[in-house]
Amino acid sequence: MTLEVFAFWAFAVVLVGSALAVVLSKNLFHSVLWLALALTGTAGVFLLLDAEFLAAVQILLYAGGVVTVVVFAIVVTERLVGTRLSQTNRHVVRGAVFAGIVLTLIITWIRRAPHPVRPDLGDADVTRAIGSTLLTQHVLAFELLAVLLLVAMIGASYYARPEE
Amino acid sequence: MSARPDSLVLVALLAPAAVFVLLAVVAPLRRSGRLAALISIAGALTALGAAILAWRNLGEDIDVFRHVWAWLPQHEGVLATVGVLADTYSVKMLVLVSLVATLVQVYSLGYLSDEPPAALGRYYMYQSLFAFSMMGLVLAPNFLQLFICWELVGLCSYLLIGFWYRKASAARAAVKAFWTTKAGDVGLLIGIVLLWRMTGTFDFAELEVWAGSQQAGIAGISLIAFCLYLGAAGKSAQFPLHIWLPDAMEGPTPVSALIHAATMVTAGVYLLTRTAFLFELAPDVMTLVAWVGAGTALMAAILACAQDDIKRVLAYSTVSQLGYKMAAIGAGFANAGFLHLLTHGVFKALLFLGAGAVIHAVHTNDITRMGRLAKSMPQTAVVFIIGTLSLAGVPLFAGFLSKEEILGAVLAGGLTVPFVMLAVAAFLTAFYMFRVVFLTFFGTADAGPKGPAYEEPVHARGHHPHDAPAVMTIPLWILALLSMAIGILFMFHHEEPQFESPVWLTPAAVGVGLAGIGLAWLTFQRRSIDGDRLASAMGPLRTAAHAGFWIDDAFLFVYRSVLLVFSRTIGWIDRYVVDGIVNVMSAWTVMGGGRLRRMQTGRVQDYVFGVAVGVVALLIWLGGVK
Amino acid sequence: MGLHAYLFLAAVVFSIGLFGVITRRNTIGILLGVELMLNAVNINLVAFSRFHGQTAGMILTVFAIAITVAEVALGLALVILLFRTRRTAIADQIDWLKG
Repeated sequence: MTLEVFAFWAFAVVLVGSALAVVLSKNLFHSVLWLALALTGTAGVFLLLDAEFLAAVQILLYAGGVVTVVVFAIVVTERLVGTRLSQTNRHVVRGAVFAGIVLTLIITWIRRAPHPVRPDLGDADVTRAIGSTLLTQHVLAFELLAVLLLVAMIGASYYARPEE
Repeated sequence: MSARPDSLVLVALLAPAAVFVLLAVVAPLRRSGRLAALISIAGALTALGAAILAWRNLGEDIDVFRHVWAWLPQHEGVLATVGVLADTYSVKMLVLVSLVATLVQVYSLGYLSDEPPAALGRYYMYQSLFAFSMMGLVLAPNFLQLFICWELVGLCSYLLIGFWYRKASAARAAVKAFWTTKAGDVGLLIGIVLLWRMTGTFDFAELEVWAGSQQAGIAGISLIAFCLYLGAAGKSAQFPLHIWLPDAMEGPTPVSALIHAATMVTAGVYLLTRTAFLFELAPDVMTLVAWVGAGTALMAAILACAQDDIKRVLAYSTVSQLGYKMAAIGAGFANAGFLHLLTHGVFKALLFLGAGAVIHAVHTNDITRMGRLAKSMPQTAVVFIIGTLSLAGVPLFAGFLSKEEILGAVLAGGLTVPFVMLAVAAFLTAFYMFRVVFLTFFGTADAGPKGPAYEEPVHARGHHPHDAPAVMTIPLWILALLSMAIGILFMFHHEEPQFESPVWLTPAAVGVGLAGIGLAWLTFQRRSIDGDRLASAMGPLRTAAHAGFWIDDAFLFVYRSVLLVFSRTIGWIDRYVVDGIVNVMSAWTVMGGGRLRRMQTGRVQDYVFGVAVGVVALLIWLGGVK
Repeated sequence: MGLHAYLFLAAVVFSIGLFGVITRRNTIGILLGVELMLNAVNINLVAFSRFHGQTAGMILTVFAIAITVAEVALGLALVILLFRTRRTAIADQIDWLKG
């Protein structure tokens, strides 16, 4: 067993386990924390796929930013409602069955696909490639993304503004 | 003036039409009452003048003048034309119509003098419309124009019978007249269409040419002739469609004189005269016409003996005389029927107008409440008696020759039983008419039978009846003098009929009339025969006569059991089946909508679930495709 | 590990996230499920990009992450607004658009 395979399985277990914990946990706060772990697991998977830049972005933005925001939201709403937000699930059977069906179907589809071989990258610098392509061929989308973020920020601050 | 007759008849036709349009459109003119009346009378006089001139200018050798305009086009030539046809029949009829219309309109000025001006204007507007429609019917060169004017005449009849529309009985009578004649009109329309399908034309001249080339008894012609006869039977009050005419007396008396004595009811006779060439091709229908005509004549004469209302007596008398005309046509001698049409038009109008003068003076229609009016209304008595003598067929008066000719025609046509019926009817005619004369103008009513509703006779109450004003008596005298003039003229100069009459016919006809007069005199004047016992001697016939032979009841029964049941069934089907289907559909839609709307729970998760289901379905389907 | 392994992994995470979206009663819990699903998609993208030797998938992933961040921020702002006006956290009770 190579290091790569072992790492893959480790990260996979972490990811799937924490994902399950996210959706099954009774305490919402715990769910968020498990989500943070799942996002970190994803970053690990990215590393295995030679996407170091993306792994960094994942940890910075997702595990750092998003989780923080969600925690804040929970705190704010918990204060509003006044009681500890608990989670119970409804229609568990229904959800499980459907999720299972979707999983089965997707797996069936995947298995019909061909098996490509992982190409050898040699000394290619993936991050540099991403950077240069992003700022040359996709520069317009990049700039628009910036505008999008600005708009989202304005919208969010408007929606969540303090009451007058 | 030597104008062409067709131009003259066109003037006669359009004068009252112009008056009608004027009065219909210019409402203030119509509401002015007397002015509208004078305009209408002027129009009628114009028509009369033009008609007389046309008659005079009708030549000896060319006696048919046509003037038509193309109206409905079809891809080859014309489907229908509109215009005028002036030949001896139409021109003579035109003179009769315009003459009676003018006299009636003048008379109405007096009779309807206490109507409000707006109503009077309406009356004269209808009168002008009627004059136009009747003349259009008479002058029609083809079936289509005839039918249109036929319906218009029916409409005017409805409008004029129901002139006092606030009176419920008048409104009902108008509707009854309309419906009964409409039943016949359906037959007429069917006949016209069938005839067109067989020949391809509506035009009378072309049809006459076509008929000349056909053999009698070709397939389908009997049906056509019967259908056309149905229309005539409706308008001319043949059994069983005669029921509307007695009730039509609800209208003003001048209307009865014009429409239900001289002109509209004669439209049927005129139609059969016009299309005699078609009926000659269907001898079985002709026989039917003759039998029904004679039967109607007899039945109506019996019924007239049982009436106490002076107008209803005259109404049944008209039905009876129409039967005479139809019988003559059925026997194959249309000219005899047409001649009687002309003479009867004159003296029946006279009788109605005279009755109107009596009614106007004593304010009642009931002859048992009248008496000794000859003293107080001498002029009216004289003209009325002249009319009665004409109707009874006494020589020197108008009806004598025409009635005798009808009897001769029926006999010559080989129809003996109808002949006997007509002879009996002649006897009864004289009888019931002189009954009216004696009870109204002579004797004393308090010497007669007193019914449970007997009231003091009018003259004994201190009410003083008197002759009508000049505007009413002058038309009466004109008609009376005309009656006598025609009678005397015919004695010395008349066209030879187309058949041979036996020698005993004339004395027999005269004798039958005099016998009727004699019986009436004995019963109602000298009182040697008790009228009551005479009537009871008739036994069941008397009951039947008083019940109108139960014909009205028969119609009512058919209406209730067939028509109402049918319409109620259809109504039920409409409400429960047709509406039911629609209601069920809408109920299902609403129910389905109610069920489906539960899908919209408003909860996001349910919608996500829906999307998930959709995605699954899509994946399965796409998986299957692959 | 072959491509299929990564794809299977992503599929599993995706269906777990779907399960979370369908069953969780708290709105924030639903958002967490959505996060998982988006993560799975990102894994897919990067895996394909790597196995075809192109950077296009990774660039798309960069964009996806950025947009997801924006979406989370806005979504939470809406949740806060919702709580302020309607005083409820439970998704079952947010049904005012009921048909």
